[in-house]
Amino acid sequence: MSDLKIVVCMKVVPKPEEVGVDKETMRLDRENARSEMNPTDMNALEMALDFKDRYGGSIDVVSMGPPFFSHFLPVGLAMGANHIYLLSDRDFGGADTLATTYTLALGIRKIGDVDLIFCGEESSDGATGQVPPGIAEWLDINQITMVNRLDYDTEREMVRGQREIPGGHQIVDTPLPVVISVATASNEPRFMDYRLKSWAFEDERITVWNVDDLKADPGYVGEPGSPTIVSGLEQAPSRERRMEFIDGTPDEIALRLAGILEDRM
Amino acid sequence: MSDNVIDEAEVPANEIELLEPASEPEAVVLDDELWEQLIELTGGAAAPCFQCGVCTAICPWGTVRQEPISVRKLMRRAQLGLFNENEGLWLCTACAQCEPYCPRGVPIVEVFRGLRYLAWERRQALEGLPSVLWSVYWNNNPWFQPPSQRTAWVENGQLPDFDPTQHEILLYVGCTSSYDRRAQNVARSVVKLLNAAGVKYGVLGESEPCCGEAVLSMGHGPYFEEVAAKATAVFQERGVKKIVTISPHCFDVFRNHYGGLSETVEVYHYTQLLAELVESGQLEFGISPGLKATFQDPCFLGRGNNEYEAPRKVLAAIPSIDLVEMEHTGIDSLCCGGGGGRMWMETEAGERFSDLRVQEAIDVGAQVVVTACPSCIACLEDSVKASGHKELLVLDVAELAILSQESVPAEMADD
Amino acid sequence: MTERVESLYGIDEESKAIWVFLGQIGGNLEPVSLELLTHGRQLADQAGWTLVGLLLGHEVGHLTEQAIAHGADEVWLADHPLLEEYTIDTYGRVVFDAIMEGKPSAFIAGATPNGRDLLGRLAVRLRAGLTADCTDLKLVTETGILISEVTGFGGGVLALIEAPTHRPQMATVRPGVFPLSEADASRKGRIIDFQVLLSEDMLKTEVVETVVGAGVDLTQAEMLVIGGRGIEGDFEMLRELADALGGDIGATRPPVDDGFIKRERQIGQTGVVCRPKVAIVCGVSGAFHFAVGIQDAETVIAINTDPEAPMFEFADYCIVGDAAQIVPALTHALTLEKVPSV
Repeated sequence: MSDLKIVVCMKVVPKPEEVGVDKETMRLDRENARSEMNPTDMNALEMALDFKDRYGGSIDVVSMGPPFFSHFLPVGLAMGANHIYLLSDRDFGGADTLATTYTLALGIRKIGDVDLIFCGEESSDGATGQVPPGIAEWLDINQITMVNRLDYDTEREMVRGQREIPGGHQIVDTPLPVVISVATASNEPRFMDYRLKSWAFEDERITVWNVDDLKADPGYVGEPGSPTIVSGLEQAPSRERRMEFIDGTPDEIALRLAGILEDRM
Repeated sequence: MSDNVIDEAEVPANEIELLEPASEPEAVVLDDELWEQLIELTGGAAAPCFQCGVCTAICPWGTVRQEPISVRKLMRRAQLGLFNENEGLWLCTACAQCEPYCPRGVPIVEVFRGLRYLAWERRQALEGLPSVLWSVYWNNNPWFQPPSQRTAWVENGQLPDFDPTQHEILLYVGCTSSYDRRAQNVARSVVKLLNAAGVKYGVLGESEPCCGEAVLSMGHGPYFEEVAAKATAVFQERGVKKIVTISPHCFDVFRNHYGGLSETVEVYHYTQLLAELVESGQLEFGISPGLKATFQDPCFLGRGNNEYEAPRKVLAAIPSIDLVEMEHTGIDSLCCGGGGGRMWMETEAGERFSDLRVQEAIDVGAQVVVTACPSCIACLEDSVKASGHKELLVLDVAELAILSQESVPAEMADD
Repeated sequence: MTERVESLYGIDEESKAIWVFLGQIGGNLEPVSLELLTHGRQLADQAGWTLVGLLLGHEVGHLTEQAIAHGADEVWLADHPLLEEYTIDTYGRVVFDAIMEGKPSAFIAGATPNGRDLLGRLAVRLRAGLTADCTDLKLVTETGILISEVTGFGGGVLALIEAPTHRPQMATVRPGVFPLSEADASRKGRIIDFQVLLSEDMLKTEVVETVVGAGVDLTQAEMLVIGGRGIEGDFEMLRELADALGGDIGATRPPVDDGFIKRERQIGQTGVVCRPKVAIVCGVSGAFHFAVGIQDAETVIAINTDPEAPMFEFADYCIVGDAAQIVPALTHALTLEKVPSV
């Protein structure tokens, strides 16, 4: 059995439908939103666990976020991960993807000798999909994005990933170490193993690292490390179904629908 | 019990064959650890089984499949500490039709749940079921619906928020009645009836906890215990003394699987409350739809909790309802197929008990099949549509009661 | 220690240009690249900037004309056998070198799997700001600042994002948000041969195979036409519509039960849960167990003869009518209206 060292990057996100924009302050109102693990990160963890089940190794979960994440991250341990690192510091706040990937990469580097890093394709809050390739760049290692299946050729020490591309897939080989971004809904995350659950939710399971622990350059984390700024926020049009009735002859209806469809193709 | 059942209760030929050790070669390998675990998980419940096979013969799967589920064999395996992946394990609808006939009184459904938990531990649960548990975990409902939409079904504003100083009763709506468009109509009907009878009740709204029935029936005992503990804490915190549920599934878990809850809290199904209201004259029905009706006993109301009378009392109080009984009734009532977590698993066409049930209803000339369970409604309506007998109505007791007051046609959906 | 992260080049060094990464599929420029040229042309005209296309590939020189016809002033062409197929190793290196040579103010690409794979990595290498999957791009003429509109939180929130001090200003743009201009063959532009030095040993990733259009995977379909009991098994009719839309077909449980279509195409609680851009739902009454399977669709169009069908509650556009009449009419309208290919 090989001794693969695996990291899974996970994030806690507010339930999307419960986030709004405060009309007066024009800021995100996520105070009252319930939180959950980013759904695609659950797919990433499942792929990592399956990989570990087949090829051996250990899994560390790495997350960057405020202290309350520690109430959610133990879910990963109860699913079968071995340890959790929470990168948490006031100075990490306000990070865009450049600062986020820098910080996560430092955490991964501090863990050391990592062979595979699994990330969800994107987060439901930011939906950038830039974190996985960004981490790969900071660590100067390979990447395969949008993967829905991953195998390992132990002899060649190469992973083989199946990438989702429009209308089909692509098979890509690459040596370790590698960052894998896992496509949304590419697997069904296993439920927690209740033999592990109470152990998983004990306080001492989580190691918290701050700016100093990571020896981070303060200009590269949080707001100073983020080139982008949010200059405006708006509530998107309601996601409730419109329930708009379209009348007419079949041909009239068809023309109207064709117009609607062409806007969306 | 019909003679028919006794005849079938003889061990079928293929069963006898399976009793021979030669056809169970793996029986020679016994795993002590697993054996102990199985005893623990099933509470030793399978121990008294002496392998008569009545359970297998009675199981309704035998009526829709060439090969029935070998309940007997699963019991034997539980006794011996043998476990392997078994499709039959997930087919069980927890209807418990076998249990009253078991000469040794084995709680067979409980043994199934124990075996299912073993499958969870071994990561052999059916595909799709982990997602249901995750939905309960993140969304507080097994239907993948946003928790913030739990009260979206309520018509015209709000229902009274439960307050123990004002409300005698907590109306526990349940996840299915909160989210399933068809079942919402049942919830609205119950609400109208309670209002009409002047009952003082409140609801928990968005903070209503999932009862965990889906979790229990899929066999995840430890997670169910966690859900139950949380829900119990909510009920205690809110000072609840009397719960009335819409679904018999919630009713059953609160009553029989919630540890100490039933010692401090009275639990009723809404048909029991309606029956009381009818008896005390608080609830009366006016206009008559004049229908020939038959009643489908929900398993968790009838066999599960021995409540056959309350819904029939309510139906009897509706003028000009001619209640007829189907071939299988009372303790022999046929399951709709939706229990035991089967609502989250696909049942192939031709294997749905509800098809048989609809035929039974047609055979007795019923114009409406009345039931008192959201799962029964979903399954029966599907089967009515598939049968082509679209004239046959499927209604909940509460809906029929409302119909007798308002003559509002019910909404039906088939896909 | 740094006070604030800086990009490899700044505003003082930038050239006033918008660069568009030109992705190609099977010997053609991908539609989103042409959409970006169309929109980029408008932004460049408004600010008096140059619009540049960056084209990588092997023996793809003929595509430069297409790029110019859609608005590019210049096309930088990197032609090399090792660029035949996209890999992050080769494309990352060449695009980085080209950007460092041209120092554009803005660099944009389609938010395709490869576009996101590439820019996500390059933005870090360049220490630049990147916005992803944008639904709109504006250029403030006075300041030269690119403003990206993005959606977050499952589409519930729109945010405007800019990177005022870092260059290039990078963005990936969601395919389909910008209209496509007609090609203008009379347009003239410059073609700049960008010399690249690539060798096999730079390739760490190897593309073993690329398969398009095999197998059924409804979870990935962007356009889905779904039939229920009401279409009486006529999935041929739905297939024609799906083909016109470049999509796939699914079904509810009754037609699967009746053997009109395979179980693998069943949508719903006990079947496939899908998240298409558009679901056209025909002859489906709309039971909850089905609706769960399309609740994440961006747009739902429902066609049903019964005006009371619960399905309409789950739909954005509701048509009370017979799918057997409306579906063929729609297929016809889509086939007629198809924009002539570029």
